[in-house]
Amino acid sequence: MKKTHRYYLLGTVLLLAFAGFSLSSFKETLTPYVNYKQAREVDRVVQVAGALEKGSSKYVDSEDFLYFTLKDPQTKESLRVRYKGLKPANFEDAISIVAIGQFDAEAKEFEANKLLVKCPSKYQGAEVKEYS
Amino acid sequence: MLNYLSTLYLPGAVALWAALFFAVTTIVGYVGVAGGGTGDSSSLRFARRSYDFFAVSITLAALVLGLLLMMRDFRIEYVHQYSGMDLPGHYQLAAFWAGQKGSFLIWLLWGTLLGVLVRKSAGRNEPAIMGIYTMTLIGLLFILVRENPFVMLKETPLDGQGLNPLLQDDWMVIHPPIMFIGYAASAIPFAFAMASLFRRDYDDWAARAFPWALGGFLVLGCAILMGGYWAYKTLGWGGYWGWDPVENASLIPWLFGTVLIHGLHMERTKGRYRRANYVLAALVYLSVLYGTFLTRSGVLADFSVHSFVDLGISGWLIALMATFFGLAVWLLATRLREVPTKPNEDPLFSRGMFLVLSTITVLVAAVVITFGTSAPLITRWFLENPAQVGPTWYNRVNMPIALLIALLLAMVPYLTWRGDDAKGLLRKMIVPGLFGIAVMAAAAAWQVRDPFHLLFVFLAALALATNLHKTVTRARAAGVGAAGGYLAHVGVGVILLGILASSAYDESTKVTLQMGTAKKVGDSTLTFTRYIPRQGREKERMEIAVERGGEKFFVYPKLFMNDRTRQVMANPDIRSTPFQDLYVSPIDFDPGQPQVQLAKGASGQIADMELRFVGFDLNAQGNAMAQMAAGGMVTIGTEIAVTRNGRTATLKPVYRLNPANGAVDTPPTDLPGGGAIFVSGINASNGEVQFQVTGISNPPKLSVDVTRKPLIQLVWYGLYVVLIGGAVATFNRLRQVQKREAVLGQQ
Repeated sequence: MKKTHRYYLLGTVLLLAFAGFSLSSFKETLTPYVNYKQAREVDRVVQVAGALEKGSSKYVDSEDFLYFTLKDPQTKESLRVRYKGLKPANFEDAISIVAIGQFDAEAKEFEANKLLVKCPSKYQGAEVKEYS
Repeated sequence: MLNYLSTLYLPGAVALWAALFFAVTTIVGYVGVAGGGTGDSSSLRFARRSYDFFAVSITLAALVLGLLLMMRDFRIEYVHQYSGMDLPGHYQLAAFWAGQKGSFLIWLLWGTLLGVLVRKSAGRNEPAIMGIYTMTLIGLLFILVRENPFVMLKETPLDGQGLNPLLQDDWMVIHPPIMFIGYAASAIPFAFAMASLFRRDYDDWAARAFPWALGGFLVLGCAILMGGYWAYKTLGWGGYWGWDPVENASLIPWLFGTVLIHGLHMERTKGRYRRANYVLAALVYLSVLYGTFLTRSGVLADFSVHSFVDLGISGWLIALMATFFGLAVWLLATRLREVPTKPNEDPLFSRGMFLVLSTITVLVAAVVITFGTSAPLITRWFLENPAQVGPTWYNRVNMPIALLIALLLAMVPYLTWRGDDAKGLLRKMIVPGLFGIAVMAAAAAWQVRDPFHLLFVFLAALALATNLHKTVTRARAAGVGAAGGYLAHVGVGVILLGILASSAYDESTKVTLQMGTAKKVGDSTLTFTRYIPRQGREKERMEIAVERGGEKFFVYPKLFMNDRTRQVMANPDIRSTPFQDLYVSPIDFDPGQPQVQLAKGASGQIADMELRFVGFDLNAQGNAMAQMAAGGMVTIGTEIAVTRNGRTATLKPVYRLNPANGAVDTPPTDLPGGGAIFVSGINASNGEVQFQVTGISNPPKLSVDVTRKPLIQLVWYGLYVVLIGGAVATFNRLRQVQKREAVLGQQ
C-alpha cells in the first residue's frame, strides 16, 4: 500500500468515527415535541407546548420554583409544570408556552429546564391578513 | 386584472415589473453574445444597457418603498404592518427590512448594484458570468413580483401596527442591511465558477473571483459579529451565540466561504484545488439559499426565537434552490473531469497537506452545523413529531473540530510547501510551545481543570503564538499585504480562547434584590438603589450599585413595557473590564404592593401575605342596611383570611362612611406578625374591595440574572483581528488582479 493511500484510509476512518460520534449525540440530544400523555411515559428530555391555564402559576420564593399548568388547546388535557428559575418576562400574556424538560414521575410534574414564551406580537404579520 | 392592479401602489409595482422586463432582456442580450467574445457587438451593448435599466428600476422600487415608509403612508400594507406613528425616523427606515418582502428587496437591491461592479471585473466571460448572475437576481425578483411589497389596503388606517419592540434597536438599522450585502455577494463567486464551467474556460475565474469571495467573507463576518453584539448587549439572551437556526443560516455560508478563500489561495499560489473550488463556490451560494428556505418558509417556526411568518413562498424558495442546485450539479457533472489538476503528492508535513486538512476540518464543521440546523426536517422521517437539537449538541460536536483546527493552525506557519521533517518542525515550535504551556499553566492556576479544556487552551495559545510570529516576520520580509492571512489566524486563536473561557466558565446567578438591601453575588455586592422612571426617549431604568474588590460602580439595566404591545422588554447592562464582563439582565420588577383589590372569594398577594376576601359582613356593628335607611354613619364589615408564614388568621376590618357628607373612617386592624390592614375603598359597581396595609416595610423588588463572563472580550477582539487580516488579504488580492489586468492589457 502506498503511503498516501494509508493517509486516505486514516482520514476516512477518522471522518467515519466523527460521523458516528455526532450521530449518536444527535439522537441523544434531540428534544422531540410530544403530547402530554407521551411526556408522562417516556424517560427522556422532550418538549411540550400549550397554553397557560389562567391563574395556575405560582412562584415559590423560598425554593426558586415556578409552578404552572399547561393546557393543550386541542385535547384539553393539562400538565403541571415545575420550572427552576424566575418567571420569564411576558409569561402571563403568552399565547403559547413551550417547556423543554423531562417528566418527574415521583412528583408527578413535568420538570422544565427551559421555557420558550411566545407572545402575540411575534405573530403580528399573521394577524394582518384580515385587512386585505 | 384591473381589480388586481387597483390593489397595488403602481409607481413601486411598475418599477418591479420594469425590472423583471429588463432583467429578462439582459439575459436575452447576453445569450445573443454567447459564442462570441467580448467584442463590442451590438448584443453586448444591448445587454449592458438592459442591465443598467434593470439596476435603475430596482433602485427606484427600493426608493419608492423607502419614501412610503418615511411618509408613513399606511395605505400600503407593508408600511402598515411594520411601522407606526410613534416610530422615530431611523426605525421607520429599519422597518424596510423588518418584514419578509422588504428584506428580499434590500437583498435584491444590493445584488443588483454589486452586479454593476461584477460586470466591470468579469473579463472575457462577461456574457456567461452576467447571464448567470442576473438569473440569480431574477429568482429573488420573482418572489417580490408575486409577494408584492406595494400591495395597498382598501382603507387607509390612521396608524400602522408598529415595529416589533424587539427590533427597535440601533443594531436593527445597520445589522440586516450588511447581512444582505453578504448574502448578495455570495452569488458572485458562484456566477464566476458556473460561467467558467459553462464556457469550459478554466483558467481565468479564480483570480477574478478571489477578491469577491474575500469581500463576501468579510462583510458576512462583520454582519455575524454585529448580530452577536446585538444579542449580547441589548437583547439580553445571555450570550452572543445561541445556535439558533437564523444565526446558523449566516454561519454556514461563512464557513463554506472560509473554505473557498483557502481553496482559491491554493489555486492561485500552487495551482491546486482547481476542481474543489467549483464545488465550494456552489456550496457557498446554495447554503445561502438553503438557509433562506429554512428560515423564511416557516418550517422552523416552532424552533426559533426569531419570528417567522409563512408567506406562502416555500414553493418559490424550493424552486429557486432546485434550479441553482440543478444548474450546479449539471455543470459539475459534465465539466469537472475536464478541469486540469495536479495530483496530491505533498508529503504529510507540508503546508499544502496541512491546508488540505484544515479546509476539510472547517468543511466538516459546516456540514455538521447544516445537519443540526436541518434536524426538524430530518427527524420528520423517523419521528412522529419533528425535533431539534440544542446548543449542547453543537457545542459537543464542535469541540473536537475546534481542537483539530487549533492544532493545524498552530503548525501551518512553520511548514513549507516542499515538506519538512517532524524534528525540524518541533524545534521551531519550542518558543511558541513555551508560550502555550505558560498560558495553559495560567488557565490551570485560575480554575480550568478539565484536561480537554487545558489541551484546548494550549493549542489555541500555540496557534496564536506561531501565527503572530509569522505575521511579524512575513510583514517584515514581504510587506504588510502578504501577512493578512496569518493575522486572521492569530484572531482565530484569540477567539477560541475567548469562547472557551466565556462559555464554559461563566457563572450565572438569579437573585431577587430588595430595594436598599445589599446582596452578595459571587465576588460582588449588589444593591438595588432606585427605579428611574421614563425620561423622554430614555426608557425606565433600574439603578444597581455594585461593589467589587473595593471598586464601586452602577449598572443600569432597563425593564419597560412597550406601549403598543404591552410586552415587557428587558435590556441588560454590562460592566466590562479587561478580564471579565459583569452582565446584569433584569427579569422581573415588583414595585411593592401596599394595596390589593379583590372581588368576593378572590385571593391576592399583598406584601408578604396571601389575602383572601371571604365576603361582606353587613352586621359587623349594627345592621348596615338599617343604618343606611336611618341616615348617618354606615358600617360595612368585611371578612378576610390572611396567610402569613404558613399560618392563616381570619380578620374583620370594617369600612365606615357617611353617605350624607362623604366622610369615611377606616380603622386599621392589627395583623398577626406585625403591621395593620384597613379597607381603603369599596367599589360599589363591581363589589370589589381595596385593602391596604400599613406598618410593614414592603420595598420594591427586582429580579436579575447576574452573570460573570470571563474573557468574553477576547471573542470580539479576535473577530476584529480576523476581519482586519481578511481586509488586508482582500486589498492584496485586488492589487494582484489589477497588476494582472495591466500585464494582460500590455500583451
